[in-house]
Amino acid sequence: MTKDQVRQIKLICYANWLITEKVGGDKGVRDLQMLKATVTLPGGLSLTCFLGEKLPNRKDLFLQLGWFIFYMLDSEPFNARNRTTTLLLLLWVLRYYRLGFDAPEFAEYIRTLDTLKHGNSDISLWLANHCR
Amino acid sequence: MRRKVIRVGSSKGVLLPREVTKAMSWEFGSEIELTADEAKHEVYLKTLKVTIPDDYEIEHLHQLEDIFQEYNNLLGGFND
Repeated sequence: MTKDQVRQIKLICYANWLITEKVGGDKGVRDLQMLKATVTLPGGLSLTCFLGEKLPNRKDLFLQLGWFIFYMLDSEPFNARNRTTTLLLLLWVLRYYRLGFDAPEFAEYIRTLDTLKHGNSDISLWLANHCR
Repeated sequence: MRRKVIRVGSSKGVLLPREVTKAMSWEFGSEIELTADEAKHEVYLKTLKVTIPDDYEIEHLHQLEDIFQEYNNLLGGFND
């Protein structure tokens, strides 16, 4: 793993810890391999948007977020609060990139997303269509 | 302020007043550091300082907490 990927995993773990601290739930990582897969994109890429990198175009950002959301919900790397953690990080990234979004709509999307029906590309497309 | 040493099971204890725990932000389960100066007959209680590793961006952690506060209603409503 690269140093950046380790930092990304630590940030995601912090977000999960924060959520479980605030709203309850079992703390801890359920499957570290799954968590590693979440920050390992094809072509040697990773979730650099979580480290504050200013990506040159939105397509790259939505590609990273689509990957992140899909693997967080599909593989459930944490013992609890996988969807809440995903939403918290998603809201933070969208705010960081100063994108307009309807928070309740995004929350409902993450809450009901079925990864058997929607892959990471579908999620990226949804994000692209719902961010201003 | 004065406090009496009381019995807690087979140990001795001192209850901390609410205003102290509130001012220190100590909750049930909070860890605190206790040091005793035998020469002066004094005991000190300190909030335990946690060192965050360098590879954490502190500003990002604060921002995550701010986002949680702002969207508390949405984030608290999830089952998972």
